[in-house]
Amino acid sequence: MTTLRPFTCDDLFKFNNVNFDPLTETYGLSFYTQYLARWPEYFQLAESPNGQIMGYIMGKVEGHLDNWHGHVTALTVSPDYRRLGLAALLMHFLEDISEKKRAYFVDLFVRKSNKVAINMYTNLGYIVYRTILEYYSGDQDEDAYDMRKALSRDVNKKSVIPYSQPITMRELRHINRDQ
Amino acid sequence: MAQQMDSAVFERRLRPVYDNLEVGNNRKALQESEKLLKKHPTLLCARALKGLSLLRLGRYEESHTWLEAVAEEKPVDDSTLQVLSFCYRETEQLDKIVELYKHAVKQNPGNEEMLAHLFISHVRVEDYKAQQAVALQLYKVQPKNAYYFWSVISVVFQGIRGPESMIPEKRKLYLALAQRMVDKHIKEGKLETEQEAFLYLHILKLQNKYEEAWEFLNGELCAKLYPGAPVSMKFELLKELGKWQELNTLLMQLLEADHDRWDYYKEYLQSCFELLKVPPSPDSTEPEFTLVSCHEFLLRIIESSERKKRGPYLARLELLQRMRVAQLQPQQLVGDFDELIIEYFRLFGDKSCCTHDIALFLPSISIEQRQALASKLLLESGISSTSLPQSKEQMQKHICALQISRICGSHIELPVDHLLAFYTALKLHYEHGLSTFGKNLLATEMGPSDAYALLAANVMYDITLREMKSDHLFEALCLLQYVLRNSTSNFHVKLLSLKIYHMFGCLLGAQEMYDYLDIKQIQLDSMGYVHCNLLPLSGRFAGARSCYDATLKFFTNSYKERLEYIALTYRFYTFSKMEEFMDFKERLTNSLQYVACSVETQLCDLVTCYGNLQQNLSAYVAMSIEPADDRISWHELSDNRDLDAVVRFDPLHLVDGTAERKESFDQEVEVLQVRSLMLRLFASFVDLYHPTASAKFAAPNAKEQAQDRPHKTETATLELLRESWIGLFQRLRLMNYKPLSNRFLVNLLPTRLHLLLEVPYEKFFDDLAQLVLDFYTGDPQLTLHCKAVSDNVLGLKDLCVQTIDASNEASDGLWLRRNQQQKVAACLEILSLYAFLLSVLNDKIQSSGKTKIKKKPNADNKTCDTPQPISEKERSQMLLELMRQLKRKLEDCDAAIRNWKAPALPRDLNSFMADMSLKPEVEATLIGDVSSTFKESHELLVTELRNLLKDKIRMVGK
Ligand SMILES: CC(C)(COP(=O)(O)OP(=O)(O)OC[C@H]1O[C@@H](n2cnc3c(N)ncnc32)[C@H](O)[C@@H]1OP(=O)(O)O)[C@@H](O)C(=O)NCCC(=O)NCCS
Repeated sequence: MTTLRPFTCDDLFKFNNVNFDPLTETYGLSFYTQYLARWPEYFQLAESPNGQIMGYIMGKVEGHLDNWHGHVTALTVSPDYRRLGLAALLMHFLEDISEKKRAYFVDLFVRKSNKVAINMYTNLGYIVYRTILEYYSGDQDEDAYDMRKALSRDVNKKSVIPYSQPITMRELRHINRDQ
Repeated sequence: MAQQMDSAVFERRLRPVYDNLEVGNNRKALQESEKLLKKHPTLLCARALKGLSLLRLGRYEESHTWLEAVAEEKPVDDSTLQVLSFCYRETEQLDKIVELYKHAVKQNPGNEEMLAHLFISHVRVEDYKAQQAVALQLYKVQPKNAYYFWSVISVVFQGIRGPESMIPEKRKLYLALAQRMVDKHIKEGKLETEQEAFLYLHILKLQNKYEEAWEFLNGELCAKLYPGAPVSMKFELLKELGKWQELNTLLMQLLEADHDRWDYYKEYLQSCFELLKVPPSPDSTEPEFTLVSCHEFLLRIIESSERKKRGPYLARLELLQRMRVAQLQPQQLVGDFDELIIEYFRLFGDKSCCTHDIALFLPSISIEQRQALASKLLLESGISSTSLPQSKEQMQKHICALQISRICGSHIELPVDHLLAFYTALKLHYEHGLSTFGKNLLATEMGPSDAYALLAANVMYDITLREMKSDHLFEALCLLQYVLRNSTSNFHVKLLSLKIYHMFGCLLGAQEMYDYLDIKQIQLDSMGYVHCNLLPLSGRFAGARSCYDATLKFFTNSYKERLEYIALTYRFYTFSKMEEFMDFKERLTNSLQYVACSVETQLCDLVTCYGNLQQNLSAYVAMSIEPADDRISWHELSDNRDLDAVVRFDPLHLVDGTAERKESFDQEVEVLQVRSLMLRLFASFVDLYHPTASAKFAAPNAKEQAQDRPHKTETATLELLRESWIGLFQRLRLMNYKPLSNRFLVNLLPTRLHLLLEVPYEKFFDDLAQLVLDFYTGDPQLTLHCKAVSDNVLGLKDLCVQTIDASNEASDGLWLRRNQQQKVAACLEILSLYAFLLSVLNDKIQSSGKTKIKKKPNADNKTCDTPQPISEKERSQMLLELMRQLKRKLEDCDAAIRNWKAPALPRDLNSFMADMSLKPEVEATLIGDVSSTFKESHELLVTELRNLLKDKIRMVGK
């Protein structure tokens, strides 16, 4: 039971019950404001009937030509509201606008150890497109899965032919520059 | 071409300066820029970069001179302008950026880029009129839609935010103009983007032209440009237009497609209740609307959902609740409230949100009904005092029923022995749930039975409060720490532990929990109330600084960037977010947490300064406190606390969150009043003796002010502030604030307001003001006032010593501990400030005694037969006596603190262990760890306070 609405600046003051989650990053303000200013429709929030923030999704759309795609930067649901289909709802929303914006696919990065999320994305139709070595830096660097799902514009599903080998961060930057 | 070559070469030469600045190597950047200037002394950009390097190095005067010189040359090249405007942004001289680009544009009238910079410079100072003009200029140079709409939005803002927006006719004119501008564009077929369509709708709505907005929204153009227009916009317009039938139909369609949308149900129900009010038109063939059809619709949705969704069930309860409010009889149509809740509980009780959901509807029934309902739910969960949950789902249901029981007030009246038994049961349930259902818990997940322990902690607090003894709460703390070992990511446990540590004055434990929560960025604002805001006067000074530092760093950074966020919305052309960003900027810069933390940091630095007098004074000067100048916008202060982050299941009828928020905020503002006035008053004392210090280093405009000030008014600021000080305390006493309620564990801790009223702050600084004045003028009453102040010192010493004695003698070491530490800290704070002041006075008076300074005539020299002012020499002796006395009292305080015992923990640990139910080996280390945290915390406190005293004794000892 959700109210879906655009995320607003004021929500930054009240999202703690969600952001205290250990897998949810609290970014610097300029990061949020950039997303809000640039891709406002890609930053959506689910609110419970009592006004609490249940979760949110933050994303963007970018890329050239057939690399034009939606990207999920953050997706998180408060522990109190898990397993209610909320993440699925938010993902559908993002896929929907990406469809409207004529994107070819949606992608995201997830920690290799985040079994719950990977399982969820798989259930939502995402595949592991490639592995990026040491994508997450920290006490212990961690690899990321780059997961993807093709949208209707990618008729031949070209965007979801997976890599056979993992790639490094440097290679990833290279690829991104070329696209 | 030649110029381009040049600029490429220079670009390369400048690179090292930029690179060093980027990585914060400012000294090297300065060297590089000087090297470059040796070769090319006139290279403007290099000069500007030198100015920037100096600024970064904190050499403000020099930097200022360099930058001014560059600006005077009226640069027109982009890189110099960028560097200069960057510097002006850092130093908050935003109007200078405007001037800079105004000039540059004059030189290159057709330069799009310069014009765009000029536009943004107007955005920073919120000059909408100038924005409009520049945007139009831009549009002439380069007819892009973006520029056209920059001018449209600038017109809109003149109407709704600018200085004229308060005048209704003006507002109307501006909005009408903005609309005409867009209308024209539409006619010419030039509307291109979604945000333009949004802006047009917004303009229409601002003028209440809902019919037109509705037509546009449903028109072809909007469909093409703005396919993602949120449906909520439709709801809004239909409601404004009173088209309830249409709204009703639309929502039924939407709900059939999506059964779980609360926003839709809410609007749907509203439309139904509105339709009830509509009298049936005589010629209509439609049957009259009744709630029967609404109820049927909800039932249909319930029946057609394959996967059970909460939506329609909650909607049905909402229907019932609204019928009650409208004094209709829901029973017949919707059914029995309890039955519906029980049905809901059966379906969704295994989800942790079920408690929040049910709680939503409890206000509509009486307390007795609530408690009866709670019992039914408990029964429904199938767990009794003799049985344990058989599955994770059943356990969650049990938890939900227990939480609801607490919310309904079922536990609150129970006698203590019942509560204790309840606590034991909760503890057992926790342990059972953990060992049965928490086996393969990921480190990032919360334990499935943690909620039992959270409830247990709350129950223990209830007992503690009744007995006014800390035993049980200490046990709860141990339990929470135990939970945290099993479930390292449960932030609720960390927050509650943090709270209890603070209640018990255990700063080390609190700090550990705070670090564990990893609070950062904007959380430093919204969550500052759980820790940072509790640190001032909690017992440690230096120890609190790092927390203030981290907090201030976030605030100063975002303060610097605040306007760039708004500029972003223009660059990205996001009209829908502009107002939101502007309001956000206000909220952030006026955050009470920000202002309070700044003041506390300054006070803390003055209290703890430990250098020689010159060092201390320059540290003081660097704070650039302007006593005459109240820089706080009291009426804009903003409450950014996320109080809901700490969950509570306390009885609904005993909790009023809104009132608690308001009351605590009001008190915090008063605390800030006292603290900031104290800081300014104290600064006025220092400035009286070291006026040059503040004038010499202060910003250039402050210097002018100081020069304007006639000599006679040297003491005027001090006297004025002293009056405000007295007035403030008078008012505070009159207001008769009550300490915040400590009824529940989750409630906010009391503010420092009552502490500040109880410890003789008022009298001390009032008498001190008199003393400072007397010393200045040599007033014959000086002897008397010296006595008054030294009596006050004595009083503070006594308070400090007595508080510690009481603490040492207390059988319960924790219950009053926080308050005791606060009192001691407050005494030492005052005495430390006093010590600093004496060292300042001493410096002046001793040196003036030697060099024979000008005699100060009495401030109001009305009568000729006023007694002679006291001689410099005598003054100097009195001062020495005051210093000697302070030194002795500080030594007494030190002796007391040296003998301050670590808090006696509530019970001897053996019996305590016997109480704990399971896993004795874990409990042994656990209680040991918690206990040693208390001990260590105490030792740190003692060491720190003794170091402080040592510094102060040295300060007045010479
Ligand atoms: C990952 C996360 C967003 C899932 O949110 P959610 O709202 O609970 O997910 P949903 O209810 O929409 O689940 C959709 C599907 O994912 C799967 N799934 C989700 N959580 C699961 C879990 N804990 N165990 C097994 N499967 C799970 C299920 O297949 C589920 O469908 P089902 O309930 O019909 O079986 C949430 O756990 C979370 O916020 N985690 C922390 C932050 C995070 O890891 N974000 C992802 C970073 S890329």
